[in-house]
Amino acid sequence: MLERDHTVITLNGKEYLADPGQNLLDFINTTEEQVPQICYNESLGPIETCDTCLVQINGKLQRACGMKVEAGMKVQTQLPHVHKAQKESLDRILENHELYCTVCDYNNGDCEIHNTMAEFGLEHQSRPFEEKPYNRDDSGPFYRYDPDQCILCGRCVEVCQDVQVNETLTIDWERQQPRVIWDNDVPMDQSSCVNCGQCSTVCPCNAMMEKGMEREAGFLTDQEPGILKSMIEMTKKVETGYGPLFAVSDSEAAMREERIKKTKTVCTYCGVGCSFDVWTKDRKILKVEPNAESPANGISTCIKGKFGWDYVNSEERLTKPLIRRGDAFEEVEWDEAISYVASRFKEIKEKRGADDIGFISSSKATNEESYLMQKLSRQIIGTNNVDNCSRYCQTPATKGLFRTVGHGGDSGSIEDIAKADLVITIGSNTAESHPVLASRIKRSQKLFGQKLFVFDIRKHEMATRADRFYQPKSGTDLVWISAVSKYILDHGLEDRTFIDEWVNGFEEYRQSLEQFTMEYASNLTGIPEGELIDVAEEIARSGKVSVCWAMGVTQHMRGSDTSTAISNLLILTGNYRKEGCGAYPLRGHNNVQGCSDFGSIPNFFPGYEETTDDEVRSRYEEAWNCEIPKEAGKDNHQMIEAIHDGNLSSMFVIGEDTGIVDANINYVTAAFEKLDFFVVQDLFFTKTAEYADVVLPASPSLEKEGTFTNTERRIQRLYKVLDPLPGSKPDWEILQLIAQELGGDWNYDHPSEIMDEAASLAPLFAGVSYERLEGYDSLQWPVAADGTDEPLLFLDGFPFEDRKAKFFPLDFELEYDTSEEYDLHVNNGRLLEHFHEGNMTYKVEGIVKKTPNPFIEVSEELARERKIHEGAEIKLISEAGEATGVVTVTDRVRGNELFIPMSANGKSAVNFLTDNRVDKDTNTPAYKEIAVRMEVVKKKGKSPIPTNNHRRGQPVPQVGVKVEEKWEREDYIFPGDQVNKDG
Amino acid sequence: MAKSITNIKRLEVPKEKQVERDLDEVREAVSENKEAILKGIKLLKSLDEVGTLDTANAFSHSKKKALEHLVNEVSKDQYTQLFENLPELVFLMGDLDMKAIRETTGRVNQGIKEMNELEPEQKTTIFDLAKALKDPEINKSITMLMQLLKGMGRD
Repeated sequence: MLERDHTVITLNGKEYLADPGQNLLDFINTTEEQVPQICYNESLGPIETCDTCLVQINGKLQRACGMKVEAGMKVQTQLPHVHKAQKESLDRILENHELYCTVCDYNNGDCEIHNTMAEFGLEHQSRPFEEKPYNRDDSGPFYRYDPDQCILCGRCVEVCQDVQVNETLTIDWERQQPRVIWDNDVPMDQSSCVNCGQCSTVCPCNAMMEKGMEREAGFLTDQEPGILKSMIEMTKKVETGYGPLFAVSDSEAAMREERIKKTKTVCTYCGVGCSFDVWTKDRKILKVEPNAESPANGISTCIKGKFGWDYVNSEERLTKPLIRRGDAFEEVEWDEAISYVASRFKEIKEKRGADDIGFISSSKATNEESYLMQKLSRQIIGTNNVDNCSRYCQTPATKGLFRTVGHGGDSGSIEDIAKADLVITIGSNTAESHPVLASRIKRSQKLFGQKLFVFDIRKHEMATRADRFYQPKSGTDLVWISAVSKYILDHGLEDRTFIDEWVNGFEEYRQSLEQFTMEYASNLTGIPEGELIDVAEEIARSGKVSVCWAMGVTQHMRGSDTSTAISNLLILTGNYRKEGCGAYPLRGHNNVQGCSDFGSIPNFFPGYEETTDDEVRSRYEEAWNCEIPKEAGKDNHQMIEAIHDGNLSSMFVIGEDTGIVDANINYVTAAFEKLDFFVVQDLFFTKTAEYADVVLPASPSLEKEGTFTNTERRIQRLYKVLDPLPGSKPDWEILQLIAQELGGDWNYDHPSEIMDEAASLAPLFAGVSYERLEGYDSLQWPVAADGTDEPLLFLDGFPFEDRKAKFFPLDFELEYDTSEEYDLHVNNGRLLEHFHEGNMTYKVEGIVKKTPNPFIEVSEELARERKIHEGAEIKLISEAGEATGVVTVTDRVRGNELFIPMSANGKSAVNFLTDNRVDKDTNTPAYKEIAVRMEVVKKKGKSPIPTNNHRRGQPVPQVGVKVEEKWEREDYIFPGDQVNKDG
Repeated sequence: MAKSITNIKRLEVPKEKQVERDLDEVREAVSENKEAILKGIKLLKSLDEVGTLDTANAFSHSKKKALEHLVNEVSKDQYTQLFENLPELVFLMGDLDMKAIRETTGRVNQGIKEMNELEPEQKTTIFDLAKALKDPEINKSITMLMQLLKGMGRD
């Protein structure tokens, strides 16, 4: 039996068992006793600003939230003077906050001030509300601050400083009338605020509120400001007692329930997999409300998940299928489009064979849709030519993990990264590409002593926060990782027990490390030997090491090998199979993990079972009543090549703007021009769609049901927030229509039936079902038939025959460098506020206001050398093509390195520059290996980064809200003392 | 050979066809909700008969205006007392002994009835008053009034 320690405490004369060290208020909340609490929020911990949770502890009035349970503690919550002290605190809150609930947009049944006052039974206010000498701050695009309604609880500051760790908000306790301020007291729009929106999420009232809610949520709130003010005045006059006020406003709140729909969904942007409720009124999105139970993100979001949904209602959405006729597309009805697509595929298959057709799935679409796409390809058409965009990003990481530990996914959860003693990020701009996950690292580092080492050529936010930051020469990470591994081994710092018990191939690996001396590594990477030795020592000494990596590793010619080297190092130091450890190849798109998991890969069925495995193949052939080719099909890159070679004449691409995101787009679009028949399925008329013969209008995630799998291998359900925009259809329905037209016996009424089929065929997902994924429930694969999942992988050993991991020997050769002619290195990556190529985020008005333009980052040194300034226009020329753009001069890049965001569109698109170089093992384009030369078009001009961009802000880091400064104010009297004084 | 093109010819659905589609949709909805719709028609009819429909219609049309007028009007100072009185009145209601008040009101009503039967020219002398005290009904009224005065004066 599991022994648990308990602490015995007495609450209102009754004995209870509490967990040792438990927060007292947390404990009281588990009992039936009720204590008011406004600033306290479980996700944030104690803030101690509101004083409403005063109780008597061992004879003394104290804040329950500020105490931990101790053995023998005697707590009283119901004595008259306790009640009096609590009332005094509540009165003070109402001095700061006007109750005009019925005409308040926050009156939705979850206003914590309203509910606390009502529960406490507060009938009268002792002191009147006093207006504050500040105007509302309406300057930002997404949320606003009303100082008049702000109770100074400090939750927003806490979340900004210590959860998001953007460090923009503080409360200035020194001024006569304290308030929340941005940076050093600038309007919010001019500050370092990244609009993650978490302040508005945690605000207990209407002080920080999403602008989408304003004048929308209530039945009576849609009034001209003057009228609203009069109505507030009117409700105030009826203020004799709060009872009637609450009765009316509660009824109004209940009426709102009828009109406002709250639907859980999973974010469609990055691979972190945030989940939240979306509040809608008809097709209007009022706000996004994360939930403490959201498994990946808790209460956190970034700007895109919280505010980036305008694209769903964009005027530019496609609402009719298009067929190319002559030199124009013609809108047609669905029947016509489907039968045309089916007949053309049929004709091509008959004439040129199934392998003449290629399929590309979307990492934006659901698992079920990936499953259907590969089923369409394999069952209906009969080819393994099916792939997805993970080919462009993370396939090398998957390869590296398959070689060494056997599962191609993060080895633990985001929680493990937060718990690590040492986090190393390599080639990952985590704060912008995976913002919510980065915040977990930032928090652990800021508050809990976690160490952060960053290896990246660019000095991004994580680099500026790191305990150690190194800038290895591009593409040489494998070298320093191997040298560090060799050093660890040479000095006997490896985890011998782990290796003996759990690993094969040690000897061969040891020999392969011979060439990686510290001297060699230092020469190639440019990192001094002494520093690398320190790194090795720190890794070996740290109990729990997690390594996160991303495109800076994978999009190189040795992307798979470098990923393998990371895994080798983790094995060597025993950093698998335990909490807080492991390999975290951070997945880029919301469902790039799931799209591969569910079989849209040329060599794997769903659940990573090889097409060449006869037993597996016959399982699918039997279930699908068809024959499936044995050999692997073509990947994305090979498909484009095959078009040029005349071996592929037809393609079907879902939700992927291949003509922008693939490398060397001149070459890719030239291939599109050669296709006989090209089908593109998307929300918008993309660059790729311009080359299509048929364009099918699809529905985005908010308009359908399904599941996504995040970077933690976590499968989560999304529910239908909105009906499909008339004329568009969910991808799974379109795929089914095409399959049926081609004679397939598909009869899915609901995506859950597709998941049931996948689960019945792929052992990795055996126990996955929609029932087990209700609401905020989730499963992290592998999932056994009984529903047991594995948040932490490999506890029962590694998925190889003898349950042991494998060292994988590597060597290295530097194949890419800048040259005399092409003397500058171009790096590229994501921006926080724009996703990927920007086809969704550029449709969000507020984001465009903050970040309207693409730009090219140039170092101060290079700008001096070329005599260019902020706003200069330059042309970059590589062997493959050329791009032009506007310069921002910054120390984020150094020397001859340039950076172009992936969201750069039009003539600045980075993929005009990239070429056909690929990772040697997976054909992932080496996007990060571009050498260019620069021509100056204009020496200076207007900065591409507007003054209201957060990059220009001045954060004010501090821990928490600094409540001590409130307590030190002369006008502050602890309510407990006040009560004693008043008697 | 498919060059990049961006020209899209919109599908013009003929108006009659669109009307037909919309009608189909409505017809289906009507059929699915037959009972409710028939009841709805009855309700509309009754509302129309008493003129409520016209009033509601007019009000909906100018909801914002109407509300604006109302709010502006009642925001004037002269209504402040009214608004402050409203909730006071509610609390007053809570304090009053309704049963006793009802009984008293009954008596007052009886008195008023009697009073109205009085000849307009009739006068009362001191002597009449003294004599009246002997009348048990008058005596009871006077006693009750004196008790009331006593109760009101008590702190």
